[in-house]
Amino acid sequence: MTLSDRIDRFLAVVREWGAGLYHGLISHPAFEKVEQEAEDLEDSFMLACFPDAFGIPSPVSYYTAELLPYLESEFEAWERRMWNRGSMLERKGQQYHF
Amino acid sequence: MATHTRPTEKFVFFGGKGGVGKTTMSAAYAVKCADAGLDTLVVSTDPAHSTSDVFDQRFGDDPEAVDGREGLWAMEIDPDEEVEHHLMETKRALGDQVSAAMVNEIDRQIEMAHQTPGAYEAALFDRFVDVMQSSEAFDRVVFDTSPTGGTLRLLGLPDFLEGWIDRLLRKREKSIDLFEKAAIGRNEPRRVAEGDPILARLQERKEFFEYAGRMLREHAAFFLVVNPDELSVRETRRAADGLADRGLSVRGLAVNRLTPEPDDDENGRGARYLRDRVATERAHLRTLREEFDQPVVAEIETRVEEVRGDFLSEVAAELDIDTAVAADPPSRS
Repeated sequence: MTLSDRIDRFLAVVREWGAGLYHGLISHPAFEKVEQEAEDLEDSFMLACFPDAFGIPSPVSYYTAELLPYLESEFEAWERRMWNRGSMLERKGQQYHF
Repeated sequence: MATHTRPTEKFVFFGGKGGVGKTTMSAAYAVKCADAGLDTLVVSTDPAHSTSDVFDQRFGDDPEAVDGREGLWAMEIDPDEEVEHHLMETKRALGDQVSAAMVNEIDRQIEMAHQTPGAYEAALFDRFVDVMQSSEAFDRVVFDTSPTGGTLRLLGLPDFLEGWIDRLLRKREKSIDLFEKAAIGRNEPRRVAEGDPILARLQERKEFFEYAGRMLREHAAFFLVVNPDELSVRETRRAADGLADRGLSVRGLAVNRLTPEPDDDENGRGARYLRDRVATERAHLRTLREEFDQPVVAEIETRVEEVRGDFLSEVAAELDIDTAVAADPPSRS
C-alpha cells in the first residue's frame, strides 16, 4: 500500500465522519425544522378549510369539501396531529434541539 | 327619455322586501325587453318561486321558452338540486382518489359540509354565476331575487370569497415551498407545487369568484322594488346602502302597489279610506323621490286582477327603464 493510498483512505474516513457530523448536527435538524414548519402551515390551511371537524361551523366548507378527495393523506395526518398536539409550546419546543 | 341602465349592463337584478312585487316587476321588465326585440331570460333565485304563477307555466332548472311570447325564456333555480349535485360530484371524486380505508372518514366530512347553513347559499351563488357564464344566447338576463337580506348576503359573497381563497392559496403555496426546501439534496419532497390538485382547484375557484365579482360590479344593474309604506321604505334604504357599500350600483326604485285615488264626487266610507291611504302614500313617495339618490323609475297602481298575461304588458309599459344593450356583450372570461 503506497502512501497516497493510505492518505486517500484516511481522507475518505474523515469525509464520511464530516458528512455524518454535518448531517447530524446541522442539516438534519434543519430539514426537520423546515418540514415541521411546513406541517404547521399545512395544519393551519386544513383548519381554515375544515373547522367543522372540530365543531366550528364554517360558511365555506361547502367549497372546501371539493378539496377533500385530494387531501386523503393530509387529512388523516392532520387529524392525528391536531388531536395529539398537547400545546403550541410543546410543538414548537420540539423544533429546537438543545 | 329614460336612461337608467347602461348598455353594458346585461344582468338586471330586481330586489326588495318580501311581497312587494319583485316577481311582477322582473317579469314585466323581461316582457318589455323581449318586446323590444331582445332575447331575454328571466331567472328566479327566490326559493319560493312564483315566476311559474305569473306566466301560468311550469319552469325548471334550465331556460324554457315562455309560451306565446317572442324572445322570452324563463328558469327557476333550485339550490337543493345543486347541493345534491355538488355532493354527488365530490363523492365521485372521492371514490376515484381515496383508499377504501379512508373513504368513510372523509365521506362523513363531506356530508357534514353539505349540511352547513352556508351550503344552500353557496349552491345558489354557484348556480347563478353559472347562469351568467352560460348566458351567451341571451341579450339580457333578468334576476328575480329573494328578499333583501338573503340577496345582499349572496351578492356580498364574491368579495368575501375572493379574499378567503387568496389566503388559502398563499398558505398552501408556502407550505409546499417549505416541503420542497426541506428536501433539497435529499430525496423526493413530500409535496410539489407542480400538478398539485389542491392548488389547481383553488385557482379555479378563485377565477370563478373573480368572474362573479367583475360581472356584478361592471355588468349588472340593480333595481329595488318598493311599496309606499313605512316598512318597505326603510328596508329599501338599508338595501340601497348595503348594495352601495359593496360597490354595486342601484339604478332606480320601482314603486309598486300605489292606491288609486277615488273620484272627487265620491264620499262613501270606501272613498274616504282611499283618500287617506293616498295621502300617506304621497308622503312616502315624496320621501322616496327626495331622500334617495336613485330615481323613481316606475309608479305602478294596485290592480284588482292578478298580474298575469296581458296585464304584464300593461305594467311593462309603465316601467320607465330602458332596454338598450351593448353591441358586444361581456365576455365569459
